[in-house]
Amino acid sequence: MVIRNLAAAALLSLTLGTTAWAQEKKVTLYSSNPEQAIEAVASSLKKKAPEIRLNSVTGGSGVLLRRLEAEASNVQGDLFWSSSFNTVGAFEKLFEAYASPELAAIPEKLRYPGNLFTPANVHVVVIMVNTNQLGNLPAPKTWTELLDPKWKGKVVIADPANSSTGYTILWGLHKMIGDEKLRQLTANLTVSSSSSAVQSGVAMGEYAVGLGFEANGYPYVDGGQKEFNLIYPEDGTFITADFAGLVKGAPGGAAAKAAFDGLMSKETQTSLLETSFRRPSRSDIEVSKIVKLPEMSAIKVFDIDEKEAADQRDAFLKTWRSYPTAGAK
Amino acid sequence: MITSSDLRAPWLWLSLAALVVLLTFIVYPLVNILTASFVGGAESGWARLLADPRGLSAILNTLILASVVTCACVLIGVPLAYVTARYRFPGKSIIALLPLITLVIPEVISAQTWLMALGNNGLITRFFRDYGVQLPSFYGWFGLITVMTFVYYTYVYIGTVAAISGFDVHLEEAAQSLGTSPARSRLKVMLPIIMPSVLASALLVFTMVVGNFAISMILSNQMPLLSVATYQAAVSEGGAAPVMQSTFATVSVVMVMLILFINRWIISRGRFEIAQGRGAKPVPLAGWRAAAIGLAASLIVVISLVPLAVIAIGAFTVSRGPVMQWGNWTLANMERVFVTAPQPLVNSLIYAGAATLIGICFSALVSYLIIKKRNAITPWLDYISSIPLALSGTVLGIGLIVSFNAGWLPLTGTATIMVLALLVRRLPFGMRSSQATLHNIPNSIEEASISLGSPPLRTFVKVVLPMMGPAIASAAILTWTTSVSELSASILVYSGGRETLTIQVFRLIGSNLMAYASAYGLVLIAVILIPIIVATKIFKVDVFASK
Repeated sequence: MVIRNLAAAALLSLTLGTTAWAQEKKVTLYSSNPEQAIEAVASSLKKKAPEIRLNSVTGGSGVLLRRLEAEASNVQGDLFWSSSFNTVGAFEKLFEAYASPELAAIPEKLRYPGNLFTPANVHVVVIMVNTNQLGNLPAPKTWTELLDPKWKGKVVIADPANSSTGYTILWGLHKMIGDEKLRQLTANLTVSSSSSAVQSGVAMGEYAVGLGFEANGYPYVDGGQKEFNLIYPEDGTFITADFAGLVKGAPGGAAAKAAFDGLMSKETQTSLLETSFRRPSRSDIEVSKIVKLPEMSAIKVFDIDEKEAADQRDAFLKTWRSYPTAGAK
Repeated sequence: MITSSDLRAPWLWLSLAALVVLLTFIVYPLVNILTASFVGGAESGWARLLADPRGLSAILNTLILASVVTCACVLIGVPLAYVTARYRFPGKSIIALLPLITLVIPEVISAQTWLMALGNNGLITRFFRDYGVQLPSFYGWFGLITVMTFVYYTYVYIGTVAAISGFDVHLEEAAQSLGTSPARSRLKVMLPIIMPSVLASALLVFTMVVGNFAISMILSNQMPLLSVATYQAAVSEGGAAPVMQSTFATVSVVMVMLILFINRWIISRGRFEIAQGRGAKPVPLAGWRAAAIGLAASLIVVISLVPLAVIAIGAFTVSRGPVMQWGNWTLANMERVFVTAPQPLVNSLIYAGAATLIGICFSALVSYLIIKKRNAITPWLDYISSIPLALSGTVLGIGLIVSFNAGWLPLTGTATIMVLALLVRRLPFGMRSSQATLHNIPNSIEEASISLGSPPLRTFVKVVLPMMGPAIASAAILTWTTSVSELSASILVYSGGRETLTIQVFRLIGSNLMAYASAYGLVLIAVILIPIIVATKIFKVDVFASK
């Protein structure tokens, strides 16, 4: 008897749980962004569209895109956020074009052809340095300084095959310093399988130098870790828009579009800047008024052709993988 | 022979129903994995595996790692078990905590805390660097071997301590009276008898290293390992074209099957039966030997407890983003677990609760059929229900994704697949302890009830079940604790909004939010520990006896 009652109670709690969720509009976000950024979006959405319940599945951007591809016959996700042009380009057929009303505030040159994807924020590549781990080495001010063999094993970067951060940096460097120098630099690099391990590796002192996005390194500066510094290379750095997309056949329907608009709204972008230091793609938010990051105009940027980077992705990765890295035997 | 009275009784039909359930959720996923690896001819998983040097070195690395960790676990676990079973020394009581620690500390957190001590910037690494000694990088072999050894040696310890306590000292005394020296007689007589237990637990460690997910993910970095390759293939392929994940999963299944086969073969070669022996009484030790053994033993235990201390402190430490402000205390992290984002806690309770309940009912019934109501089907029930022991969580997760992604029973994205993952993975725990007690319940009691006019099913519920009570309770606790801490299968089948506590901890560590991760981790430990304490202290259930 007792067992039967318990079983009934368990069944009841299971069904109650699911029906309570069914009344809300469920939107599932596949995101490669850290928890803080996802939470900023979720709490901003809660105010703008309280009927939407935002769930998230997290992982590396490449991994999530391939998962969306695999689920195409039984779509599970509504939104994808985020990855760069060079990574999302290969997955165009999984998404549907959507011109959000918020698009008006986003500069033309950042947008994706046909609005298949929409830029949610802009990333700046920086060199992260842990001054306690430098030893006798001076902090690097330029990319070319990192070519010196004395940096061997001290510099960490995310695997470009699984992380758009890693790909953006290596592709940019290949254009800026050329293949031979990139080969020399690669010989010093330790490759990490996830991009979040780059900044935590530098912050914990596992590595002296890490290559990654400003937005992912700045939380340590903001948190008050004195030995952790961000360097904007003097020979120029790379910027890349971080795109979000509406999944084709998204089960959330109209709610998915509403959540997408919410993601692009001024409120969400401001709160993203405040809590997770992502520079907005919108032109109506003044960065330095909200956080202590330099204005875009103060940073020397080396322009890259995002379309070329996307088209030559496979070929470039193949060549780059043939270079020896610091960890390789 | 099946007679018409067999057909009238419920047992045959129940056996058949149980067989269908087991075939659907254990055999069918396994067959799907095997077949998926062969699809595509020249482009099949096996062709691709042979062409990929990383895949092959992943397999080789895994074999080497598992062998080294297993040896290290035996070297720590067996001596520790021996001194605990045979001697009394200061600090011995702390060793009693060991079995608990294994169940309680999530592997994710173990790996993270070890990094804090021995990583490039770890406390110990820095200490040695100050004296000019450069420790090897903790990522790769050094870290994997260290962390896995300290996580898994307890299994060898638990297995061996039971065998040594059950060893009959008369045998040793007999050997000595025949003129053999004490040390030699102990070695000659005791070793063959405790060997099967040591071996069984060592092979258990071997299989757990092969299937290990959390520690491998965090510490392997660029070193290829089978479990990491399997997981990455699974996440990127999903359920539609599961070629590489199936191939890697098959390799892991074959590896574990071989190990289990070797185990069986070794045990069958030499079998010793002890007829109700007199266990040795622990001898008190004094002087420097007592101090040395006590110190060494408690050091091992204290090291195993370090992760626990780090979580407890981290859960109440102020943080700003990823930066921990040690020494400043707050309740904000805990508030998050219970108030701001309680979904993982709720999910864990519901999923593990449902898995435990269903698992225990199912295993009680099926064990009853296997032991007391034998028919042509029941041996198969026995075999199939023990298959999950040979499957790593990752392999099981892949099997469920491959089988229930679409098709006749689409379960992807539902709560059912979460419960199913936990249920199948932990089913053998319930089965083993139910079967063990059923052997001890005499048939005559049941026959008496039936001859007094009670129908068979009612006899089972009213007479047999109550007698199985204590065993069921301890199996329930074991199933509960291991379901709550399950990560490797559930992380593959979860969907948005269905995160459990362990998945949340894994994700937060991935986002470098250690304070939040610690808070969820601490609650996870509480969820595991509270039922154990309640059961052992209030209901006097012997949780570890049936393991």
